[in-house]
Amino acid sequence: MTQHLWERLLEAKSRLEPVQSKYRVLFEDPNAPDEPAKVLVPDPNWMACALEGGILPPIDTYQRDRLVPDGQPKEHPYAEPIGAMTEEEAIEYLIMKDIDPVVWRDYKGNRTILKIVPVELIPSDRSFRNAWKINQEADERIAA
Amino acid sequence: MSTLNVSNITDGTDTVGTSYVLNGSAKAWVNFNGTGTIATRDSFNVSSLTDNATGNYTVNLTSSMSAASYSIATGGDNYHTASYHVNAGSFTVFKYSAAHTNDDASYVFASIDGDLA
Repeated sequence: MTQHLWERLLEAKSRLEPVQSKYRVLFEDPNAPDEPAKVLVPDPNWMACALEGGILPPIDTYQRDRLVPDGQPKEHPYAEPIGAMTEEEAIEYLIMKDIDPVVWRDYKGNRTILKIVPVELIPSDRSFRNAWKINQEADERIAA
Repeated sequence: MSTLNVSNITDGTDTVGTSYVLNGSAKAWVNFNGTGTIATRDSFNVSSLTDNATGNYTVNLTSSMSAASYSIATGGDNYHTASYHVNAGSFTVFKYSAAHTNDDASYVFASIDGDLA
């Protein structure tokens, strides 16, 4: 029987060095247009697991589990782990796991509401954090 | 990796059931810098953080909880911290200044206890 995902994570933390991703994911919620842009930050221990392989479950198990009511058995903890991903594949996996499908799957509007950017393009000055929006020009930057 | 299947753990004097050890362990925790370009210092069972706005961060779990009824302890270096918008796979941490407005914090901590999915 496949070991529980939590136990695999525990074992992985004891042997894998964390990996700081060079990417961030900017996104906006189309259902809340007045809210500022959000920034998804991959966890370094999670990224180490993704690059290692043999630890994380297939992404479709998380997607099916979104529909499972609280308290009911979920599929992802005991799913057979997948192999190693590249960092780019890991970011795509994370988008599908941790960002609502209304952003990356269902949105049909003309605004760009999701961008993968190098970390150095995220402003470190948060003075106008609540006014951040994804710049709609070709340049991959946030506009405040 | 080898697996020990035991129902109790003992040091020769005291004995405890392994279910107490597992159920009593934190199921996820994170320590991160919520200022500048936010960054995780260390964590367990966290897949990502979402920087939602000033003093407003979502912690996404790798191995979900069984339901949204788990316990969250949060802290940091601001005036006070709160957590809500909880579901089985994530929770949101809010940091506040002394004026009770959302405020970024250099140190943000969160730990959760409860039942895994």
